[in-house]
Amino acid sequence: MTEANPVVLVVDDEVQIRRFLRAGLELDGFAVQDAETGGDALRWATLKPPDLVILDLGLPDMDGAEVLERLRAWSSVPLIVLSVRSNEAEKVRLLEIGADDYVVKPFGMAELLARAHAAMRRHVRVSTGEPVVKVGPLSIDLAARIVSINGARVMLTPKEYRLLQLLAQHAGNVVTHQFLLKEVWGSPHLHDTHYLRIFVRKLRQKIEVDPTQPRILLTELGVGYRLVVPEAATAVAS
Amino acid sequence: MTALLRRTILPHPVALDAGAGGRSVVRMEAVRRELRGSAIALVLVAATTLVAYVLIQSFDVRRGSVIYLLPVLLAGWHLGLVPALVAAVAGVLWSGYFFFSPYYTYYLARPNEILNLLLFMVVAVVTSHLANSMKKHTEVARKSEKDMGDLYAFSRRLASSSSGADIYLAIEEHLASLVQRKVVLFGAVSDSDRAIKPEQEGLSQRVHSAIADVRAGRTLATTVDDGAGDIWLVRRVSQKNADFGVIAIDLGSVPPLAVEEVRHRVDDVLSDAAATLERLDVARALNDAKMRSETELLREALIGSVSHELRTPLASILGAATVLSKSPVIAKDERLNALAGVVRDEAERLNNDIQNLLDATRISREQIRPRQEWIEPQDIVNSALERRRRRLSSHSVSLDMDSNLPLIYVDAVLVEQAFVQIVDNAAKYSPTGSPIVIAAKRNGRDVVLSVQDQGVGLTAEENAQLGERFFRGARHAATTSGSGLGLWIAKAFVSANGGKIQAVSPGADHGAAVSILLPFATPESQPEVGPDD
Repeated sequence: MTEANPVVLVVDDEVQIRRFLRAGLELDGFAVQDAETGGDALRWATLKPPDLVILDLGLPDMDGAEVLERLRAWSSVPLIVLSVRSNEAEKVRLLEIGADDYVVKPFGMAELLARAHAAMRRHVRVSTGEPVVKVGPLSIDLAARIVSINGARVMLTPKEYRLLQLLAQHAGNVVTHQFLLKEVWGSPHLHDTHYLRIFVRKLRQKIEVDPTQPRILLTELGVGYRLVVPEAATAVAS
Repeated sequence: MTALLRRTILPHPVALDAGAGGRSVVRMEAVRRELRGSAIALVLVAATTLVAYVLIQSFDVRRGSVIYLLPVLLAGWHLGLVPALVAAVAGVLWSGYFFFSPYYTYYLARPNEILNLLLFMVVAVVTSHLANSMKKHTEVARKSEKDMGDLYAFSRRLASSSSGADIYLAIEEHLASLVQRKVVLFGAVSDSDRAIKPEQEGLSQRVHSAIADVRAGRTLATTVDDGAGDIWLVRRVSQKNADFGVIAIDLGSVPPLAVEEVRHRVDDVLSDAAATLERLDVARALNDAKMRSETELLREALIGSVSHELRTPLASILGAATVLSKSPVIAKDERLNALAGVVRDEAERLNNDIQNLLDATRISREQIRPRQEWIEPQDIVNSALERRRRRLSSHSVSLDMDSNLPLIYVDAVLVEQAFVQIVDNAAKYSPTGSPIVIAAKRNGRDVVLSVQDQGVGLTAEENAQLGERFFRGARHAATTSGSGLGLWIAKAFVSANGGKIQAVSPGADHGAAVSILLPFATPESQPEVGPDD
């Protein structure tokens, strides 16, 4: 492993999970640092700030959510949570306290890597001020406020654009209903999920080939929306 | 006589509405009520007199004194004994005036007429008394019939309760209907079944500390002011048996002097109720329920921990398989890559089976609580298809979705899980390569999400049993694995959202179409469009 390899901190108390994560992540070009407990994780995160954190929620010494909150007090490192199924409320809560995304156990490596790379790219985008987000055929120029598909300009209403802009800033990662509602319509409309449904329908009619089978703007049931980054575009090298 | 009066005024076991001034208040109220009754009785007599006068003037009726029995009977039936007596006396006077010579005077000429009038008086009094007691008997009979019915329903409910909490709830409602007041019942000890829930019950701190006192046995009964003007009586349901718990009764804004009076009445009702509870063997029912729920808890814990224990290695297996298939050595070798795929698929299948077990436990524990929100129906379909993409890749899937379906108000996650079950069944019971048509349509007042396959189909009998827990078609039980839980879970999830599942099949080996029907109501009930500026 060379200096240039991004460092990922894997926080999980199950040795077998750490093993396959290490193998998969190293195969993808990461340098892996393990942590078995929340305390370990926080120590490592301070000693040797990682480029990515993969955090399991069930830890022996403290709740994963607590690790996340304490980490977020001083670090904005991209962070993916390993969650269990059928608890959408918990996923939303973790996203709200600062997780960039989650994968549901059991998960495939490709899925985890796609989420991780998306979170890391966003981090880079924010720090370099890169203005254009490309999602498959869709290109969103955040500086010029221009949206185009395969080069052809798409006209959006202000709210439609705001919605797409928020999703584009998090391209590849899920964005919660509450976040979108608060940013686009303001706090009083935090629970008016139907606003979102109707505007997403309009947006899909403008950006999707078949709005009934979206390929770009996907719904995460019970959680939020996600702009899908095609898998080819997610490799570390790109 | 006073006792009789009291009972007349207070036909129900407890009538707690007392004015100001304690014990005498109730009596004052009684006197007022009798005065009102007597006034009405006099009005009745006056009306009778009017009729009598008309009869005499028009038809020269001379033997009509019996007409005055009418107001006496009416007063006896509806107003009680005192008004009836008042009506009798007034009736005697008026019939003396009208029907006994010399007419139109209160003076009676002949001794036999005096006797006649006295007889009338006696008949009137006896009649009014009879009317009154008949009324009371009818009331008592009606009430005891109702009580029996209530008691029967209550005991049936006790027998079918599966937890202590259910039983306490039944007792709480039973006692509330007996004392006709808001009551809150707490379990005997600080059991987890029914912990004190201050915000939910809306009880003040003072009431809570009183409850704690009674529970701890520091006192048997006490009354407290909740600070908002209401007096609460807090006591054990039974003074002898602590098993029945502690009850807090909202007596309302009772003046301090009347509290004792009201409290005595509640005590009377409760001692009857406690005896009933003893008879119904509530203590044993509670014990049984506790045993049942402990067994249930144990089973739940077992399934929970087993599935967790199984899932953790599964996550490693599945994850490792996906890493293997990407490793340069295996990625190059088609056969090895396919093997890694097998590991992944089988791990996924096992994971679904475990999920089904967990869902089944949740359903039987009645822990399905839909979190409803507005959702685009095709989002549900697409999400289910995405989840089953690999599984469906061996079939030829076509989609037929209306582009402008109404939004539906459901728990999207539950409906999606139900739809996944249906998709799984279609993939499982139809040959590789055969077509599966997935549709989302509007039909009348429903949104219909359907999966049509060309597989083994359903016989009429199979269709009738479809969705029963553990039901598996006998024709392919030996050749296709399964638990018989899938559609049962799907049905539970869909009906929790107010929808239903329908299966249509032309017959065995002719495929089947299974649909989820979800009502979306009317266009008017669709949500408003958010502002766009």
